[in-house]
Amino acid sequence: MMGLMAFAMRALPQVFLAGRKFPDALDRWLRYVSYGLICSIISVTLFMSGARLETDAAPRRALALTVAVIIAHRTKSAVTGMIVGALLVLVLSWLQ
Amino acid sequence: MSFTVRFRQGMKAAIPIWIAFAPSSVAWGIAAQRHGLSLEEIILMSAWVYSGPAQFAVLGPLAENKSSLQVLVAGFLMNLRFLPMSTALAPFFRGVKRLPLLLASHVVSASSFIVPYLQFQKERDGTTRAPLAAPPDGYSNLAFFLGVGMTSFVVWVTGSAVGFGLALGFPADFDEALRFILPGYFAGLLVVEMKGLAMALICLGSLMAALPGALASQEWGWLIMAIGIATLGWGIEQWKLRAAKSS
Repeated sequence: MMGLMAFAMRALPQVFLAGRKFPDALDRWLRYVSYGLICSIISVTLFMSGARLETDAAPRRALALTVAVIIAHRTKSAVTGMIVGALLVLVLSWLQ
Repeated sequence: MSFTVRFRQGMKAAIPIWIAFAPSSVAWGIAAQRHGLSLEEIILMSAWVYSGPAQFAVLGPLAENKSSLQVLVAGFLMNLRFLPMSTALAPFFRGVKRLPLLLASHVVSASSFIVPYLQFQKERDGTTRAPLAAPPDGYSNLAFFLGVGMTSFVVWVTGSAVGFGLALGFPADFDEALRFILPGYFAGLLVVEMKGLAMALICLGSLMAALPGALASQEWGWLIMAIGIATLGWGIEQWKLRAAKSS
């Protein structure tokens, strides 16, 4: 079902909207919602386990996320940021 | 220019996408295995959904057996971004029949949209400057798009399966790092691609508001918070734009 919806999002414009331009305001709203959702998911995936906030692990994960973001921003490489963050959170979890 | 030559052109242009897709698809395969998905489910989802953020978004809800409606809404909202991308490409496929267009549209992704779109724009501008040069027709553009999109799709699906295999070999001590891979990667992608203060504030607001939202309602809280904050930011921006126009 989800795959069908993804396909519909890709295919419908080819069939019905060919040659037309999206209104700028709607285009921006779609982009903002997508970015907001991604950030929400990052937060929930990192800090929640079911309905519980993982308070023990949250500080080291927040630190690793901050470091990953800074490294990605400086190097312009998401993969580099992710690798450094993953290594940092691993070391911090072993130290605890 | 023949379909094959044009397809090869697209393949060459897609090489950086393959390099970017390889680690993220492997990371998704690892994360999916850790969330309890089987190899068949991982391959099927990668091939049928073919959307990193959407696949990532539904991993948690799927693993926790949350309502299928929530999984669908999350997937739907993540896939909304394909609408403007596919719409922007559509004018370049003029004259192509609907069936090939429908089949080709499955491989539209953020990366496989940007590369062909910029190439088509460049070729169109070149034709405008040199009116005697014939512009590539719809089928020629479709061949280039498929060279980018199909090969990137194969890399994505193969990488997901490789990730599943890699995850099986990881000891439990590495769980903390494995759990970090995708959120860390997507946070990095956001930062690299982010433009403007409004976008940064919306991201930061959503990141922070998701937790109280999820605590209040585990299933819908984070989703509602993200849509609310994005809409609020967008509304303020629209209001400021209108105010600037009227003054």
